[in-house]
Amino acid sequence: MNRRTYKKITWILIINLSISFILFSLNVSSLVEEIDVKFGESPIIDGQVDSYIKEWENANKIQVNLVDLPVKLWVLQNDENLYISLQFDLLLKYHSSNEFMALLISNSSSENPENFIDAKIIQFNNISNNEFEYLDYHIDNKGFSNDTFNNGRGAASLNEITSIYEFSIPIGPNNKINESEDVLLDYEANYAFNITYGEFASYPQGIKKSEIFLININSPPTKQKNLTNIALFIILITFFAILGILYGFYLYKIYRLKDIIDKSRH
Amino acid sequence: MPKISKKQKISKLEKNQEYDDRFAYKSIKMSSGLGVVFYILSLLLNTEIITIIIYQNIFFKIIDIIVRVIVILLFFLFTIISLGNYKDLIGKPLDWKDILLLLGFSLIQTILNLLVFLFTFMGLFLILFYFYLVQER
Repeated sequence: MNRRTYKKITWILIINLSISFILFSLNVSSLVEEIDVKFGESPIIDGQVDSYIKEWENANKIQVNLVDLPVKLWVLQNDENLYISLQFDLLLKYHSSNEFMALLISNSSSENPENFIDAKIIQFNNISNNEFEYLDYHIDNKGFSNDTFNNGRGAASLNEITSIYEFSIPIGPNNKINESEDVLLDYEANYAFNITYGEFASYPQGIKKSEIFLININSPPTKQKNLTNIALFIILITFFAILGILYGFYLYKIYRLKDIIDKSRH
Repeated sequence: MPKISKKQKISKLEKNQEYDDRFAYKSIKMSSGLGVVFYILSLLLNTEIITIIIYQNIFFKIIDIIVRVIVILLFFLFTIISLGNYKDLIGKPLDWKDILLLLGFSLIQTILNLLVFLFTFMGLFLILFYFYLVQER
């Protein structure tokens, strides 16, 4: 190999490595956890998870970390609303009386700060008495401002060391919102959500921990799909019933086999 | 060296046969019992009447699929052992029809989940291949 060829190969390698590095960096910078929303019965937004009525049963349940705070994140949707529940355990002495949980919503899947234009906040006024309020803000150059109309609902409670925050946010094209104040969450699209925990009622100054996630909102399942699932389930149950009967008959034959063996011996 | 009489030989053979039959019958009972247990487990898991996963992440999903596949494979394994011994006791060999029927019964259990179907299919193939290798020729 002559010197020129060697030089060429070196340059090709350097260019290749640089391109790979750039692509890898781009990929790393968008390494945000993606959450698929599941369909299910709408939960009651009261800051309580009632297991007797199987609330949040079908939710996509994942464990996330807001910096060093492990949080259970449950996401559920129906045709009209997106439901998000955040739960975490924290000793009473570490709770702030005016703590809050907020969902800062991007108008797309972009994680750029200027794309987060909507904020749904559950603000405790006095956490020891479980007094809270749900706030709907929009974010612009001036900072956080109150919406003219509250879109969505929220509730929270603190039971011993467990805090439960529940949000309900309208979704779908039929949802009438003021687009300058709220993000229209449409079906078959994903949006960046900044889950934020803060210690006092001032935004964004009170924010202590936050983490961005991508939430994929799905279209309502078509009736056809539902029918297919029901049909498959019925087929499967019928099959299991037939298999059960056949197995029962087989067990009976095994039982009878002992008599046949004994008879043939005698 | 004392000679064994024909009668004694027959009696010994009969005793051996009786012992084999008893052993085979015990094996049929045990493996069909285990087959029933895995049938019930498969009914609960593969119809999704109960789910073993709490958090929806990839790790728990993999565990869920593995458990479902193992339950079906164990159902197939114990049922085929039981059926094979049963057929042997009544003097008929286990034929391809029986095996195909059991294969069908095992695969239908997977119709709600494509991944469970694929892994079960592979598992059943491996079990059958193993039986093919170890069978007497």
